[in-house]
Amino acid sequence: MKRFEQLNPLAVAIYYLCVLIITMFSMNPLLLGIALVTSVISGILTGTAKLRTHLIFALVFLVAAVLNPLFVHKGVTVLFYLNDRPITLEATAYGLCAAAMLVAALYRLRELSKTLTSDKVLYLFGRISPKLALLLSMTIRYVSLLHIRWRKISDSQRALGLYDDGNLIDAVRGRARVLSILITWTLENGIITAESMESRGYGSGRRTSYAVYRVHTADIIFIIVCLLLTAATAVGVWQSQTAYYPALDMDLLTPWGSAGAAAFALLGVLPLIINAKEAIRWRLLLSKT
Amino acid sequence: MALITVKDLSFTYPNSDKKALSDISLTIEKGEFITLMGATGSGKSTLLRLLKPELRQNGDISGEVLFNDRQTETLSPRESAEKIGYVAQNPEEQIVTDKVWHELAFTLENLGARRSDIARRVAETAAYFGISDRMERDTATLSGGEKQLLNLAAVMTADPELLLLDEPTAQLDPIAAARFIETVYRLNRETGVTVLICEHRAEELFAISDRVVILDDGQIKYDAAPRQVAAQIDINSPHEAFLPTAARIAHLVYQSSDAFGSLYQKAPNDIPLNIREGQRFIGQFANTVRVLDDESSAHPDAVALSLKNIHFRYERNSPDILRDLSLTVYGGEVFALLGANGAGKSTAAAVIAGLRKPYSGTVKLFDKPLKDYKNGSLYQNNLSLLPQDTESVFIRETVGEELKGCETIVESFPYDLRPLYSRHPYDISGGERQLAALCKALSTGPRLLIMDEPSKGLDNHAKTLLRDIILRLKSDGVTVLLITHDTEFAALCADRCALFAQGNIAAVDTTENFMSGNRFYTTAASRITRQRYDGAYTADRAARLIRLNGGAP
Repeated sequence: MKRFEQLNPLAVAIYYLCVLIITMFSMNPLLLGIALVTSVISGILTGTAKLRTHLIFALVFLVAAVLNPLFVHKGVTVLFYLNDRPITLEATAYGLCAAAMLVAALYRLRELSKTLTSDKVLYLFGRISPKLALLLSMTIRYVSLLHIRWRKISDSQRALGLYDDGNLIDAVRGRARVLSILITWTLENGIITAESMESRGYGSGRRTSYAVYRVHTADIIFIIVCLLLTAATAVGVWQSQTAYYPALDMDLLTPWGSAGAAAFALLGVLPLIINAKEAIRWRLLLSKT
Repeated sequence: MALITVKDLSFTYPNSDKKALSDISLTIEKGEFITLMGATGSGKSTLLRLLKPELRQNGDISGEVLFNDRQTETLSPRESAEKIGYVAQNPEEQIVTDKVWHELAFTLENLGARRSDIARRVAETAAYFGISDRMERDTATLSGGEKQLLNLAAVMTADPELLLLDEPTAQLDPIAAARFIETVYRLNRETGVTVLICEHRAEELFAISDRVVILDDGQIKYDAAPRQVAAQIDINSPHEAFLPTAARIAHLVYQSSDAFGSLYQKAPNDIPLNIREGQRFIGQFANTVRVLDDESSAHPDAVALSLKNIHFRYERNSPDILRDLSLTVYGGEVFALLGANGAGKSTAAAVIAGLRKPYSGTVKLFDKPLKDYKNGSLYQNNLSLLPQDTESVFIRETVGEELKGCETIVESFPYDLRPLYSRHPYDISGGERQLAALCKALSTGPRLLIMDEPSKGLDNHAKTLLRDIILRLKSDGVTVLLITHDTEFAALCADRCALFAQGNIAAVDTTENFMSGNRFYTTAASRITRQRYDGAYTADRAARLIRLNGGAP
């Protein structure tokens, strides 16, 4: 077995897809609570979210939770009046759940972007089309190349006394100049890249797509577990009742509902379990030698 | 068995009356290592490109090119990609993908190889080239030398029979260039791949090539074993630029003196080609006079530029690039800042030019702190920086528009740029582009001119031209700061040199003392002569010393 982030990108992608689908398409407060708690724990333990991120996300949560009751006045249980507008229990509950959904999804997306690095994304697309994979790879390379060149050009124009950003108009003119040089430079030298591709057989026949990743048994087991847990959660959602308006009408802890919630909690911490298991195994291996 | 046979090949570019190649006949045997030399515009690139179908340019061709006794035109793109590898000058532009491993796999992907085959070939190639440790890296983060090795490795994954290399080391620093050439030589010996390399680096290539071919104006001037070519070249002709230093010293020693001349006639096969042979060669002469007593001019007193305890880093958490850098450049001198690529020389130039702010220390230009130059006055009549990539300078469609307002400077140059006025700045040679960029840099009337790697990618002729311009600027009172890795070029024009390493100056001295004091980072002439003579850091000086001593010990 490997650590979670070492699994095949396909397994990683499926995992996040499952978690995000449940998080974003159910308004079940129990599941959303679990989603929020597991995503925060995961963010802390995997180190993908730093203190600053936590603070920003907390702020997002507060704003999102407050907005709904301020603007939506549906619901029968009035808590108090603000500027003659009723603030209802139902709208508050809905706001809290929506905020939990938003923040949980943000945490997971952040984790996703840190785990699924550019070459893993490329591998996933390469399975669909080798041409698309190459196009993406070249694009990624060009972004960093253009960035470096932009800097070189503005430096050299400045040091030749041709770039003056004393006032706004000059600054805009200077940028336009840099952009123009950047485009010429890149297009003119693009022919070298084209020659390099052609002389290495690009376009000479059907392309294959090479990747450093392989599918192992562990990946398949992981994917099956993911899908089973997701299915169980979905059945749980199906079998429990969640209505916010006009009055809260929830029936969450049915046998299926509880089982679904348990399955989702397990799904939420699955990567952490795998990594913890790996860490323990290492300790044991080390202590034996 | 001949791998390549060229028969009576002539080539004319469209819209040109002159033949770029005329009646070329050349045979390349399997496993040979051939160096192709020639001045810019002599047709060597054109010839190289005609050997690979995809690289052929439009134009009139007559004669034939055979690859394994087959017309090269009949090679399919797939065969051509498999059998003929090609690496060009620019390391950056040849890389296609974003990751090192992907770049290595690129050729085989194109050929539709199976994944398991690609995996094996990529792994063994990476191990052979010593790049296994950087497989996961982004190609953008590699140095120039690493990029060019990657380009070579990526071509070798297809296991070609012929390697065509078009000035592959022109953009590299001397250490990376030597490493690249060594790798090519090793490939040639250990895999038997046939090599045809266009290069200016006689120093390394004469010693290892099976044959040297020199083109002149579209025709083959010399085609023989390196030692024979070295013996045949006339030291007074422009072809002397292709000689390695050891052979040049021998030629210079023999050319005028009768007694020496007859000695040379007897032993054309003894002409030295590398440092070791050069040392043996000068060992036969007396060294009672060890040093030339000539101008040891003291530097001027006025300080043009002073750096005091400069510290600089790019980001808060990154290491210092400049560490306690202090440096003084005097008014009217040519000062060379030497060092390997990646040592931080260009960063130092950017700090001096006010493009980057050091977090401690002061930079003073003409006794005034840099920050006191307000409203861009620094870049008017004071300082100008000629950047390393001249592409970053040009914006207009033609050279003429680009140089509008620089007429007096253009006229003062020893090379006439005016015939190029209707051309696009990208369509002229590297040397011409360097001169055009220099015109622009001089148009603001700088008192201090900083040149970042001015000799990069230039042939010897263009270098000589550039040296003449630098010396003229010096006589006009302009202070010139050269940032370079090219010790030979620094030896030609600098008054003082400094060795830049680990973010500050490791040594600073007059060019003579600097070159004779260093063991590795010095000119070939200095390495050849240092056991017997002092300060003989160019072939001319070495030959003068030998003649001064007047014969055998």
